[in-house]
Amino acid sequence: MPALTTIAHRLTFGDALTGLVLGIIGGSAAGVALAVSISESSILGGVFGTVFGLFFAKRATNPGAGLIWGLSFAFLGWLMLIAKPFQSANMFHGARDRFPELVGVLVCLGSPVGIGLGLRGRRLRETRKSEFSWARALAGGGFAGTLSSLIFSQWMYEGNFFPLVAGLELGSRSATVLSHFLMALLIGATFGLLFQSDVFSYGSSMGWGLAYGVFWWFFGQITVLPMVAHRRPDWSAHRGSELFGSLVGHIIYGLILGVVYAIVDRVWVRLMIESDPLNREREGPGFRFLRSLRWGAVAGLSGGLVSSPLMLATGIFPRTAGLGSSLSTLVGFLLHLLISVFLGMSYGLLFRHEAPSAGWGALWGSSFGLIWWYLGPMTLLPLILTGECDWSTDAASKLLPSLVGHLVYGAVMALTFFLFEHHYATQILADPRTAAREMRRIRPVGTPAPALWLFALGLGVLLPILLGG
Amino acid sequence: MNSKFYRRVFIGSIGGGLASATLIPVLHQDLLSTFLGIALGIAYSLAVVESRETFVDRLTSGAAIGILLWGLVSVIAMPVLSGETPHWDAEQMRAYFPALIGWVFYGASLGVLVKATDALAVFLFGVQAEPETRRPEATTHILILGGGFAGMRTAASLEEEFRADRSVAITLVSETNALLFTPMLAEVAGGSLEASHISTPLRSVLHRTVFIRGGVTEIDLDRRIVKVAGRELSYDHMVLALGAVSNYFGMPNIEKLAANFKTLLDAIRIRNHIIEMFERADREMESSARAPLLTFVVAGGGFAGVELAGAINDFAHGILADYPSLRPGELQTILVHSGNRILPELSESLARYAQQKMEARGVQFLLNKRLKDAQPGLAVLGDATIATETLVWTAGTAPHPLLKSLQLERDKRGAVVVDSTMAVPSRPGLWALGDCAALTDARTGKPCPPTAQFALREAETLARNLYATLNGQRAEHFHFDSLGALCVVGFQTACAELTLPLFRSRRVRFSGLLAWLMWRGIYLSKLPGLERKIRVLIDWTIELFFPRDIVQTIDLK
Repeated sequence: MPALTTIAHRLTFGDALTGLVLGIIGGSAAGVALAVSISESSILGGVFGTVFGLFFAKRATNPGAGLIWGLSFAFLGWLMLIAKPFQSANMFHGARDRFPELVGVLVCLGSPVGIGLGLRGRRLRETRKSEFSWARALAGGGFAGTLSSLIFSQWMYEGNFFPLVAGLELGSRSATVLSHFLMALLIGATFGLLFQSDVFSYGSSMGWGLAYGVFWWFFGQITVLPMVAHRRPDWSAHRGSELFGSLVGHIIYGLILGVVYAIVDRVWVRLMIESDPLNREREGPGFRFLRSLRWGAVAGLSGGLVSSPLMLATGIFPRTAGLGSSLSTLVGFLLHLLISVFLGMSYGLLFRHEAPSAGWGALWGSSFGLIWWYLGPMTLLPLILTGECDWSTDAASKLLPSLVGHLVYGAVMALTFFLFEHHYATQILADPRTAAREMRRIRPVGTPAPALWLFALGLGVLLPILLGG
Repeated sequence: MNSKFYRRVFIGSIGGGLASATLIPVLHQDLLSTFLGIALGIAYSLAVVESRETFVDRLTSGAAIGILLWGLVSVIAMPVLSGETPHWDAEQMRAYFPALIGWVFYGASLGVLVKATDALAVFLFGVQAEPETRRPEATTHILILGGGFAGMRTAASLEEEFRADRSVAITLVSETNALLFTPMLAEVAGGSLEASHISTPLRSVLHRTVFIRGGVTEIDLDRRIVKVAGRELSYDHMVLALGAVSNYFGMPNIEKLAANFKTLLDAIRIRNHIIEMFERADREMESSARAPLLTFVVAGGGFAGVELAGAINDFAHGILADYPSLRPGELQTILVHSGNRILPELSESLARYAQQKMEARGVQFLLNKRLKDAQPGLAVLGDATIATETLVWTAGTAPHPLLKSLQLERDKRGAVVVDSTMAVPSRPGLWALGDCAALTDARTGKPCPPTAQFALREAETLARNLYATLNGQRAEHFHFDSLGALCVVGFQTACAELTLPLFRSRRVRFSGLLAWLMWRGIYLSKLPGLERKIRVLIDWTIELFFPRDIVQTIDLK
């Protein structure tokens, strides 16, 4: 025991020291970028890194986990900055004024400190090191990135808009196309390298994709690409508003990347690992497929019913699914329920085994609601109805009210789904043969899921409000 | 409500109460903030019980929950409860921005404070014992005899009723290790489906039922012991789901010479026998010697006999192309039935339709004829004989002969008499259902037919009754309105008679391709296991493009 305590102390000290060093370096860089006192920013960065090293490093078991935890902690830190003075009427404008600091803490502190401690954590701590496969990560991520870019960019070409390299004026279309694909390949490959250990279900992979897409917007779009174009990065809220369309594009790309990567990874695991008779599970695919669809349908219906009184009170039903005001209230209500059922079924398939508790379920559900706000009202609905999608701040501002509705719908739906899953689990866990398999499939404590929720939900909700002003 | 619940409530109220300080600047009302903070803290503590989460997990997840609470409380609930009509335009949403930040901090502090209170509670009172760690010995043993539809579904329903209650042990004894999906058995005999694809291993579908493959050799109702494969199994409640066997009505030659059609092996034998007949006929030079080889007789005009006759006819004609020396005119498929029409379970019009369709495809019907005897190479009717090397018996069933050894009241068929809750009267702890039970519908007073449809519903009711009995509650009386019947009569042709959902006295009758598609769709959905469904779908798809397989898979010598 004393030896273990000594090791733990050494690790903690090492983490704190590593965090301090990375924090000072990051703080200095942020100071330069923000044109503020470098000594002050270095000190703040050092404090950030040290606190992260002391309290968060245990969770940074690999670079991907470290990145998400770092971003989440940085975001929380920024919220503390803008919370002074609290409840001021100018808080919103104050937050906009501090937008450059948000970019700074995410890009210069959260990500490098997190990745750095994550690398250290992989070397010293990761308990599932043997499961990481470079080939699977690079091939799967690269393939997923390229395929996602192809899927994603089909309609982009017509509008001559390449969100992953927006603002980068390369002169020729072919150079832009090439840059877009290279960027997609880079994001995809790094996605696989960073998050292979943390991706469980297709749904959580979409969550990671969303978070990664937001990160790449801050890191790539707002910071690195201008530097590549020999321009000083503009971290203002105004610039952020101008690039809002690119933000939504990054999020959509991230969502597609997440689900495609999860599919590719799942196929890899199914064909290369689980098909080995030595690894064969008791049941094959489809064990709970139909059940998950049924549960999801009922869960979606419950979410739709809970949100219906509010939609009725606000008179939204005639405009359900963006269909102008052409629907009667009853038809709009029924259409709303139908969409709710469909979304519920998709949740049931995408987020199985992700919620060992009701709280986790509610958070995954809200994340799912957020995903569908970007996918549905922001992208697919206008695309289907008008052939174009409008990712401007004006369009997002008009859709802000439905954002909260999506979060609440998602939470209620996920809670209902959790009740079904939990009820069934108590039954099948009585079978020791199935119990072991179920335990392996349920997301364990110790993954960066809590950090993902804060980062993805926080910025996913905050950015449309902040940049739309 | 157990002590764990109260402990969580206590922890949540402390953590929530402390965190409510961050809500005051958001809600501007001290009392409301405190009350809401405590209530949300309790809800949070009950919802997030994972004790291995660290402070940083709770910090960030709590902050994320704060975003959701912002939406629920500040954006939706408070405007609505204050009587305002919500106007959620972009400007209003931006006005809620400070509240968003406030709720994030509330959530973060809630997560940390609840975790801290939890840690304090562990320090002061110790770790909360998990009820799942106590695994009691089973005090009640339920034994099910028979692994057919009734037995399997009883076991599965008992697992749902008792869930993880380890005090109840469930054991299923079956002579086969898989559930046979009998509606598709004719297709196995006809070479449309692979044999194993219509069977589902009982070990796969049952989770905590102990499964024993073996034949029951003795049942002692007084000592409550059953002997299986050299083992003695004791029980507190026993369910007889032994099903039925073929009834030869005291005709030993038929029993000896006719092929049975109850099990998977029977269907495999029939298919291989038909191929064997073709191989022998192909070698035979004399047409008179060929005739009995290529004559296939099915006794019994119920569902099983009709579907089998249709399947044999299609199979025989389908493989003819591989035997160029044989002519279609030499094939005969004959169905012998004692009644004046086939399919007594369906309406007369559908029965006539089925007969016409099958006759058009080459099946011959001998109605009002009864099979009296069989000799090698000969089927003996009352007034005629048929030269045949293939005789299949589907003309009668009887409950499992093991029941004869039990001192129980039985009906004229030999089925065990049970009351409407499926309990055997005067034998507490003994239950029976399915083909081996004489069960009367509690509402209609009619005997429940021995079909899979009824067996499944009986099983679900019986499981509830067992649960009720063990918990001192009242048992349920069985009632079920048949959903209808479907029967395949040939290639892409079936007959359907369905009951309308809200109009039980009305029936819809139709036939043809639609009925056949419905038959395939419904039975595919009923087939247990996604893997089996996929395999059957693949078999049916292959059948669309390729001829049927003529490989002999078993040696019939």
